[in-house]
Amino acid sequence: MENDPKRQQGESCCNEELIARVGQLTRTLHDSLRALGLDRVIADATRDIPDVRERLNFVMSKTDAAAQRVLNATDKAIPLQEQIHDRCMAMADQLAAGQDSAAMASDMHEMANKADVTKQQLMDIMMAQDFQDITGQVIRKVIDLAADLESQLVQLLIDYSPTSENLPVDDDRDNSLMNGPQIKANDDAVANQSQVDDLLSSLGF
Amino acid sequence: MADPNTKFLVVDDFSTMRRIVRNLLKELGYSNVEEAEDGAIALSMLQKGNFEFVVTDWNMPNMDGLTLLQRIRSDAALAKLPVLMVTAEAKKENIIAAAQAGANGYVVKPFTAATLDEKLSKIFEKLGK
Repeated sequence: MENDPKRQQGESCCNEELIARVGQLTRTLHDSLRALGLDRVIADATRDIPDVRERLNFVMSKTDAAAQRVLNATDKAIPLQEQIHDRCMAMADQLAAGQDSAAMASDMHEMANKADVTKQQLMDIMMAQDFQDITGQVIRKVIDLAADLESQLVQLLIDYSPTSENLPVDDDRDNSLMNGPQIKANDDAVANQSQVDDLLSSLGF
Repeated sequence: MADPNTKFLVVDDFSTMRRIVRNLLKELGYSNVEEAEDGAIALSMLQKGNFEFVVTDWNMPNMDGLTLLQRIRSDAALAKLPVLMVTAEAKKENIIAAAQAGANGYVVKPFTAATLDEKLSKIFEKLGK
């Protein structure tokens, strides 16, 4: 059965016909999209996809950095807290045994220092949470892009019907003042606070 | 340091960032801090309460930080209020637009406690506080 020459001939003839029809459809679609001005919409959509990938990579690296920062801080703070705890217990015993207060005072200073260092670690944990705002803004952009893509595809379906008019193309999305965090180096943007300060002072502010 | 009772309004749509800024201000000695989640809420709070300093984000729903700044500068009762922008918007045109609208300072996110401290001190110094 498998070697039936008639069947093989039949399949290859159907495949050729299928390929020819897909080719024809693709050409028709391509011409129609051009005629409707939708090639621009498709170009926008293909540009958006790598953009989304970059943004999501940015989110991953930010959340990773924040997690590392928090874990580093807890690695430092936990042993300090253990030392403070142990020393407190020992001092309570010394107090009960009536030990002299000069030695105790120096112990207490040391504990106060450890408490200070622990507080610095807690401040660092707090600052690490700024990733939530930064990545939140980037994710919001990705959601907008997905919604954009969806509406463009829907519009494409609508416009592909023979009665439609051309779709207006949104051309000013790069000129907005609300772009969120810069996810890669960009000549139009500053990379750090000192560049902000330099720009402002160069303008006389 | 200025008067520790200086009344701050922190404006940001992300509650984590509002909490971070509030904690940093507390660490710097300022405990009199209120929060608003967008420019529109901030403006109505400013018009009611006697705030002395505004720390605002840029990109927010309803009313963005630049518009808030412009509304503050065009309101006779609020025009002199110091405004520090703390934002992820890092384009040069953003910084220029903020400066032209009358921002007293511009901090890009992510920022450090030291940066916030430095900018606040600079603004208070210029205001003669």
